[in-house]
Amino acid sequence: MNKPTMNNTMNPDYLIPDLAPELQRGPSWLRDARRRSRETFNDAAVPRRGLHYWRYTDPTSFLIDRSRVSDTEYGENFGAVERIVRNHLEQGNLAGVVSDLGGREIGVHGTEELRRRGGIVASLSEASSEHPELVEQYLYQLVNASSGKFEAMNGALWNDGIFIYIPDGLAVEKPLHLLRESGLSGSAQYPRLLVIVGKNAELTVIDEYGGGSTDYNRPSYANSAVEIFGLDESRVRYVSLQRQASGMHCYLTHRARIERGATMLTIPLAFGAAVSKQNFGVQLNGPNAESRMQGMLFGSDHQHFDNHTRHHHVASETLSNIDFKVVLRDKANSAYTGLIRIENQARTCEAYQENRNLLLNRGARAETIPELEILNEDVRCSHGATLGPIDPLSVFYLLSRGIDRAEAVRMIVSGFVTPTLNQVPDDLRDRISGFVAQRLEDG
Amino acid sequence: MSDKIKQQNRDLTSIGDDYATKYGFRDPVDYFHKGARGVNHEVVEMISQMKNEPRWMSDIRHEALDIFFSKPMPQWGNTELLGEIDFDNIYYFMKPIKDQQKSWDDVPEYIKNTFDKLGIPEAERKFLGGVSAQYESEVVYHSMREDLKKQGIIFLGMDEALREQPDTVKKYFGTVIPSTDNKFAALNTATWSGGSFIYVPPGVDVKVPLQAYFRINAENMGQFERTLIIADRGSRVHYIEGCTAPVYSTDSLHAAVVEVIALESAYIRYTTIQNWSRNIFNLVTKRASAYRNATVEWVDGNLGSRLTMKYPCIQLLEEGARGEILSVAFAGKDQHQDAGSKVIHAAPHTSSRVTSKSISKDNGRASYRGLVKVYKNAADTKVSVECDALLIGEDARSDTYPTMEIDHDQVRIEHEARVSKVAEEQLFYLTSRGLTEDDARLLIVNGFMEPFTKELPLEYAVELNRLIELEMEGSIG
Repeated sequence: MNKPTMNNTMNPDYLIPDLAPELQRGPSWLRDARRRSRETFNDAAVPRRGLHYWRYTDPTSFLIDRSRVSDTEYGENFGAVERIVRNHLEQGNLAGVVSDLGGREIGVHGTEELRRRGGIVASLSEASSEHPELVEQYLYQLVNASSGKFEAMNGALWNDGIFIYIPDGLAVEKPLHLLRESGLSGSAQYPRLLVIVGKNAELTVIDEYGGGSTDYNRPSYANSAVEIFGLDESRVRYVSLQRQASGMHCYLTHRARIERGATMLTIPLAFGAAVSKQNFGVQLNGPNAESRMQGMLFGSDHQHFDNHTRHHHVASETLSNIDFKVVLRDKANSAYTGLIRIENQARTCEAYQENRNLLLNRGARAETIPELEILNEDVRCSHGATLGPIDPLSVFYLLSRGIDRAEAVRMIVSGFVTPTLNQVPDDLRDRISGFVAQRLEDG
Repeated sequence: MSDKIKQQNRDLTSIGDDYATKYGFRDPVDYFHKGARGVNHEVVEMISQMKNEPRWMSDIRHEALDIFFSKPMPQWGNTELLGEIDFDNIYYFMKPIKDQQKSWDDVPEYIKNTFDKLGIPEAERKFLGGVSAQYESEVVYHSMREDLKKQGIIFLGMDEALREQPDTVKKYFGTVIPSTDNKFAALNTATWSGGSFIYVPPGVDVKVPLQAYFRINAENMGQFERTLIIADRGSRVHYIEGCTAPVYSTDSLHAAVVEVIALESAYIRYTTIQNWSRNIFNLVTKRASAYRNATVEWVDGNLGSRLTMKYPCIQLLEEGARGEILSVAFAGKDQHQDAGSKVIHAAPHTSSRVTSKSISKDNGRASYRGLVKVYKNAADTKVSVECDALLIGEDARSDTYPTMEIDHDQVRIEHEARVSKVAEEQLFYLTSRGLTEDDARLLIVNGFMEPFTKELPLEYAVELNRLIELEMEGSIG
């Protein structure tokens, strides 16, 4: 394979050609935005590794040689997961299911009631022709060409995505489950999601990313963009579950903006992929907005995780809290960077952040960088990070109670992640616990 | 609250306000040698020749200058302020007098007056074991107590050391901080002049602190002192450095390199009170190597300068080595204190503790930037990092950028940071006890800084009197 050149200029195979069919999709304003994104992507140098954001992950992992992208085929696993979710839908546990094949084919199921109550769940292409004013107003507001080279790549190349709109005052009690499936080896996809939750409305979204290449040497690529708007007094819960196959290179940028009195709970969960770089950010844009993030990842084998979180306080009297947990075994490694930024005009804010890392064996490796940028005095802010092996005293205690070592480790890990899992909607929790248990069994 | 305590407290939050009158004076000097502005191989050769150096040192300088030219400016930190440094406008070498003196009586009157005003000779008489006073590029006065000399302790100006202890200097120079380390370390290696050299023989405990004082007098001065401290097996030493400069409207540059080596079971404490005037860029590389069971402590106070970028480092190279970094920064109007720490755990059973405290006032900005690195072989390592920041004033800014890179699983790491303004409930508690709000606020600030002031030697009489007096704070009935 041609490697992109390392002197920061782009090998032509990695550029987006002027005539790429993706650039022709959508109404004229969208085509303009795609073209601008393409220019930014092509003009921007490959980020230097010296840059803070790229210190731990090689940016060339996410460059895609268009001449070698293959037709998309999907794995068999998708069917199994879809059955589980359909089953939940039939039991009446979900407000709807959306399937997303490779960011190309969007299928919406079981959202009749939601639609009756004024909600919109549709493909982005459908929404941009039927609700152009909504899509044009919000799309690209939070994740766009100026966010970075790879955000520009998604901005130019997304085929189709998912659009969710919840009107003012509507409380959707049950979760909406999105199933995003990546193609097998050699495929590339650019999933995109836009969610608008109206004033005093309520919504839970489970955004599940699966599938992809199982061959470490022949990866497939997913470059995803998520934009979520929580208007005044809205209540949003967003779960991102990344359980992609072991040959995936996954890049995701998530940005949310919440207004006066809105609350948002973001739950990033990651188990899969060979290289996973995910960036979750919430901007607190109105007084009394509150954002909580409660994330976890569990890495094994040679997996590489690079996670960022960002809480950006723009308005006064806002509160944010992050709890991000990392469990690693084998030779897995993780880098966590979390930034809290409080602007000069954002007075009387509170912001907290905690990153805890549990390393189950020698060879696992973690980095943690919790960062603060505080531009005014009227704040209360703290962060903490811990990193270490399983406490031998805890293991000893359990052994002395007649519990064998493997079970003791299971119990301790389970205790470590339970506070996070408790935030996950009921139906999903058992599956996540299953992933954790499976990770501990493997090998 | 007694007036005395009030005054002490007020002094703390007004650090730097009276700098111009207290330290900011300047001397009209007739220099023995004043080179041209800018740096090139001729300037480097001239420095080397004036010092009559051996060829190997001159070679190191020229090689380092090429490294300086080839390295780009840092692309991180306050790149905007860094961009203002005009390397061509700086004087790289100014020699105030012909020879270094051993008696204050032999030092020219105006220089002696300067150090008198700064309280150095008085401090020397009272409690110091040795004093080195550097004025611009060179040490003008140097002296050590006879009884310390008899114990075999060597404390010299660095230029003097190169002449008198060439083998030791050659053996250790640049081994802890190579010229390639960073752009400013390269510049220092090329143009270094002055600084201290200390060697403490095995088992010797230097019971009184040794001190160096660095004074910049001229405008657009570049001061590049070079310090090397070696504590042999089982020895102990405490070194203190302080610095000030006049206030000018244009910038000066201070780029020191400090190499510290603690051999087996040795103990070194290195205390810095950086109080440069607010027109000085202070870009300093400080690094210590600690061998088996050795301890190194950096006590690093940053009060002055326009922009400081300084991250004292400890490399724990053998089992049982211990490191401690206590860093305090005060960022007043238009100042950016970008300070922090680096700890490298390269051996098993090593431990480190980092405590950072910062106060940002007005539009001042204090950044903590730290790295903890634990290598694969460093089993049973303990690390604790604690950062507290206090903000006073609506436009004050605080940043915390701690990085931890851990390649070993048998490691316990803890990091904590807190940023806050003076808490309402603490204020309420104190005002309900009859204190005015101002007094209460000052008392809280004072308590915040206490862990640092407790670490300073009580007798350290020079410009830090005001901070040190805070030690009395515990004695308010």
